[in-house]
Amino acid sequence: MEDASRLMERVRAHDADAFEALYDGYHRLVYGLALRVLSDPGAAEDVTQAVFLKIWDSPALFHGGNFGAWIARVTRNRAFDVIRSRSARAEGEFPESLPLDDTLEDTAIANVDGARVRDALARLPAEQREPIELGFFGGVTHQEIARQIGLPLGTVKTRIRSGLRRLRNALEGAVSV
Amino acid sequence: MSPHDEMLDVVAAYALGVLPPQEASAAIDHLKTCEACQAEYRLLQPAVTAVAYSAEACADPASGAAVVSPLLKARIMKRVRGEEKRPQVPRVWLAYAAAAACLAFAIVTGLLDVSLNARLARERAQSSLQAQTIADFMAPDSKHRQFHDGEVLMHGQRLYIAMHNMPMPPKGKVYQAWTLTKGAKSVAPSMTFMPSAGGMTVVRLPEAATTLAAVAVSVEPEGGSLQPTTKPIAMVTLQ
Repeated sequence: MEDASRLMERVRAHDADAFEALYDGYHRLVYGLALRVLSDPGAAEDVTQAVFLKIWDSPALFHGGNFGAWIARVTRNRAFDVIRSRSARAEGEFPESLPLDDTLEDTAIANVDGARVRDALARLPAEQREPIELGFFGGVTHQEIARQIGLPLGTVKTRIRSGLRRLRNALEGAVSV
Repeated sequence: MSPHDEMLDVVAAYALGVLPPQEASAAIDHLKTCEACQAEYRLLQPAVTAVAYSAEACADPASGAAVVSPLLKARIMKRVRGEEKRPQVPRVWLAYAAAAACLAFAIVTGLLDVSLNARLARERAQSSLQAQTIADFMAPDSKHRQFHDGEVLMHGQRLYIAMHNMPMPPKGKVYQAWTLTKGAKSVAPSMTFMPSAGGMTVVRLPEAATTLAAVAVSVEPEGGSLQPTTKPIAMVTLQ
């Protein structure tokens, strides 16, 4: 597939072929992530449609960097919006997942191998994997993770960091900096 | 564990996206000034992206998961192809021009009821402004940028936001424009506005178009805000 950033330049010019190539390349990531968060195939399809039409309608929202990381963030936020609309939880109980500073642009990931990623995640010790997956897919804050796991907040944060570092090391070679 | 080690743990929680908004803002502020934490964030961020990619399995037929419905793609592409084949710019801009013309007409008919010279002069000036707006809309050398359901238009130093299908904001809220001056690191507040009953908006921003790098619109409390308090509903770069 053509580089996603170049495809996005064409989408800005309303090139539907470029948009279709983006859909073909990223719809599994978007739908899979939405389904993992929502556990509802219909709602996951709605999120997928909303995310891709948002890209078509407002391509300028993408400022460059790693497109996969960006679209994953957009999808996760959109799925959390769905949870939010169904939930009685207060706004402050939801996590904020948008890096807001362009100087911290996403690091590129080359040749993402889904099977390799899943294997690396599965190999993490459960004490590290559990808070990471609960936090990323569950739409909960670190305080809620600590409450659900029954550990002090500081311990949860340390385990998240240790787990992410271990995962990063396991993916060495699949990640280019 | 040193206080800064604790901050590195906070950075990891921020990278994973599990901090509540207030703590996330504090983490961002710290990241702006701490090189060690920036390095930690850059180190961990690809791992977070990898966690996202691990969910692809939910839509990967090879792993036994359900295939994403081809009808979904058909629905999306139908709309996208439809818009590609029917560029809406001329039709939409005629509508915007018509909206501006109606405003001018309303001003002129209002004059029939008022004979004060001061009012007359003011209304003439406004009418002239509307005429200029229409001329800018129709000028062949004007520059258009897609902007939500509408466009940002630049003609010389003049800059307009024209949008349609805009819902009325919630009670006590207004739409507010934001501008990013070239070279600036943060946006500046511009004017607030409300759509017409039909959801149409045509506003001219007071800023000079050539000095700006980007424009955005968000929903804000009445009276406007000094900094955006909600995510922009639309944003566009002007280069």
